[in-house]
Amino acid sequence: MSGQALSGLKVVEWSDFVSGPYCGKLLADLGAEVIKVERPGTGDRARRHGPFPQDIPHPEKSGLFLYLNTNKLGVTLDVRTVTGAEVFSKLVGQADVLVENNPPREVEELGFAYKRLCEVNPRLVMTSITPFGQTGPYRDHRSCDLISFNASGLAFVNPSDGVEDPEGQPPLKGPGHQGDLVAGLSGAVATMGAVLNCQVTGSGQHVDVSEQEALASIMRSYLGLHAIEAMTWTRLKGSIPGMVSDKYHCADGMVYLLCGQDRFWAEWMKAMGDPDWAQNELFQDRISRRENWDAVKAMIEEWTMKRTVEEVVRTADASRVPCRPINTVKDLATSELAAARDYFAEVDHREAGTLRFPGGPFKLSQTPWRVQRPAPLLGEHNEEVYCNRLGYTGQELTVMRAGGAI
Amino acid sequence: MQELPLEGIRVADFCHVWAGPHVTQWLAVMGAEVIKIESHLRPDLTRSFFAGGKTLMPGLNQSVDFAVLNYTKKGCTINMTLPRGIELVKEIIKLSDVVTENFGGPVMERWGLGYPDLKKLRADIILYSGSGFGRTGPYKEFPAYAPIIDAFAGLTSLNGYAGGGPVPFGVGGWTDLTAAQHGAFAILAALHHRFRTGEGQHIDLSMSEVGCAFLPDAIMDYTMNDRVQRPQGNRDIAMAPHGCYRCQGEDNWVTIAVSTDEEWEALCHAMGDPEWADDERFRDGLSRWTNQEELDRLIQGWTSNYTDWQAAVLLQEAGVMAGPTLSPQAVVQDRHLAERGFFIDMDHPEMGKVRLPRLPLNMNHSPFGKYEHAPSIGEHNDYVFRELLKMPEEEIARLQEEQVIF
Repeated sequence: MSGQALSGLKVVEWSDFVSGPYCGKLLADLGAEVIKVERPGTGDRARRHGPFPQDIPHPEKSGLFLYLNTNKLGVTLDVRTVTGAEVFSKLVGQADVLVENNPPREVEELGFAYKRLCEVNPRLVMTSITPFGQTGPYRDHRSCDLISFNASGLAFVNPSDGVEDPEGQPPLKGPGHQGDLVAGLSGAVATMGAVLNCQVTGSGQHVDVSEQEALASIMRSYLGLHAIEAMTWTRLKGSIPGMVSDKYHCADGMVYLLCGQDRFWAEWMKAMGDPDWAQNELFQDRISRRENWDAVKAMIEEWTMKRTVEEVVRTADASRVPCRPINTVKDLATSELAAARDYFAEVDHREAGTLRFPGGPFKLSQTPWRVQRPAPLLGEHNEEVYCNRLGYTGQELTVMRAGGAI
Repeated sequence: MQELPLEGIRVADFCHVWAGPHVTQWLAVMGAEVIKIESHLRPDLTRSFFAGGKTLMPGLNQSVDFAVLNYTKKGCTINMTLPRGIELVKEIIKLSDVVTENFGGPVMERWGLGYPDLKKLRADIILYSGSGFGRTGPYKEFPAYAPIIDAFAGLTSLNGYAGGGPVPFGVGGWTDLTAAQHGAFAILAALHHRFRTGEGQHIDLSMSEVGCAFLPDAIMDYTMNDRVQRPQGNRDIAMAPHGCYRCQGEDNWVTIAVSTDEEWEALCHAMGDPEWADDERFRDGLSRWTNQEELDRLIQGWTSNYTDWQAAVLLQEAGVMAGPTLSPQAVVQDRHLAERGFFIDMDHPEMGKVRLPRLPLNMNHSPFGKYEHAPSIGEHNDYVFRELLKMPEEEIARLQEEQVIF
């Protein structure tokens, strides 16, 4: 369909699990044609990952796979077979972009290093997303989200909190796949840069995305403060001090409230009915409030505990003090804002039924984000891609399948 | 040959603080001319941020926070409270491809610079509007504070230790910079669309919608199974062992993840094949997962004899996914990042030689992109008014006197 932001862009995605597929998803969801290459038989590892409806594993019903692979065409291909490698070369030959997240050594051994593929297709933008990049002493280190998240500095500065014994806890990784998703995201930005460059120069290039770098980049303030001001950090055990914003228990849940700053403090004290304790000289300015935060928090929480989340938020909104509930995903999904802003999209999937999942992370006025097709069944588009685009006959497909190439 | 993807693209940039500037930082590093519009009446807030604990830095041009988010941009000052200032900005916009802003409300509209107004200046203009909750909908005038957004979007409820309470995601800037990269991607996609069709558009990016997009497992578990997930700490849905283990020394930790029986054998071998590894509780993947608490305790008995790096190297050599938990200071010293040129030296007129982390952008034609020191306030006024807008000397002098250029 023309009229989408990335219509006409042809992408081959030879990637697995989360990082590469999220990059491919960002491109596919804005209209690029993304052909996802999966191993015959088992397919993408995410298919085994879940969550599954009623917790019954099924390769066509993994929530993670279904979300990450919307709008893509799916083919099966074993690039490790001679025939499969040939088919892969043909696919790449017709593509503008190749997104892959395989270990660099394997890519080289299979003969698909960028310096070889660019001979097949000089316009190719090849985006390689790996834990530590294509060069350097850790290039071949085995890794996953947990390892990469900790190698970037992010786990070290994530506070140990929410438990009886924060002192005894290890560094905490982000929930779910935060690390792998960021790698895919940074890959997508870099890919688009290379695509725009190719439009002017006619030449593709190799985009080398390291998950460690993508995550460390988010730490940039910390890294700059050490490099320039020689600041160092110890691990935080217990609440983040000095943020003067905090979480508070209410009668029926929790809120997050920003009231420590001078401009919010006066308003919030008024909203709480100008309590006597606020007159204490310990609480008169931001710095001393920060130094005595435990006491401040205890007094505020005494007030919030007597009220519902809804009441506390309503009071804060009326005073223009920043405050929102600590929502579960259910609270989020059923919120008025989610409805008003179309947070969620729905699509029908042949095997999994009607799916509801996060919609576009941005709104484009002329070329909106949209779901045109759900995630592909394994090998769903073999015929469309191999016969209609690459010119193989149905019989050849049968031979290739029997031989294990597809 | 054009080396940088966005050479020839100009951005009129109103972004401030964190989430906005990181968007235009990507564009600048990719070669766009980003003209950052500030005023002495309203300099970017991060210019006043200084190293925690250190004395206040003099002036507006010595902040590490500002430098680490605004390098490669050009800075000019225009007083937007005066009509003549708004007229000047319109002249810049006529020469720009993209306008970027992340105000906490309809500031652009109040200035007569909303999207419909901008289109009259330049029909194919691309406007990027970043916000906490979107430019439409019931929260459109709420300011964007990352911990509030995380709470609303469900991230806070999922961050924390298994069995523990919600913990605000502790990394300052996580939500801002992940939202910013989605914004940069959307702008590049819009440029791609404009290149093909001549049509611009308006991009509305909400940080909380980005937060939602990064929680596929939890959201799908709710929409498919009506189940509300809780924090899982360092646990994984399938892998065990999968965690962070204490090593020798203060806050010294190694992460280890095992996903197959082969990796389990490798781990046992690296640990010297201890007797307990033969226990039937750890024989297969499911049993290891079921008994992971005990397994974690036993593994920590081994890791605590080594430093993080000693353990990590031993394990990597044996074929196990493992790595140290790096602090921000350790990341700056990291030899892999050093070899990959992750830190770049720039000469700053007031700060002297500064070493800052680059973006995770690494393409073989223009390896890291364009890196120049962050602008002092108004540093490029000469360039913008004399060269770009071709204003006569007398007029520039008069506007400075009248505090329009201010």
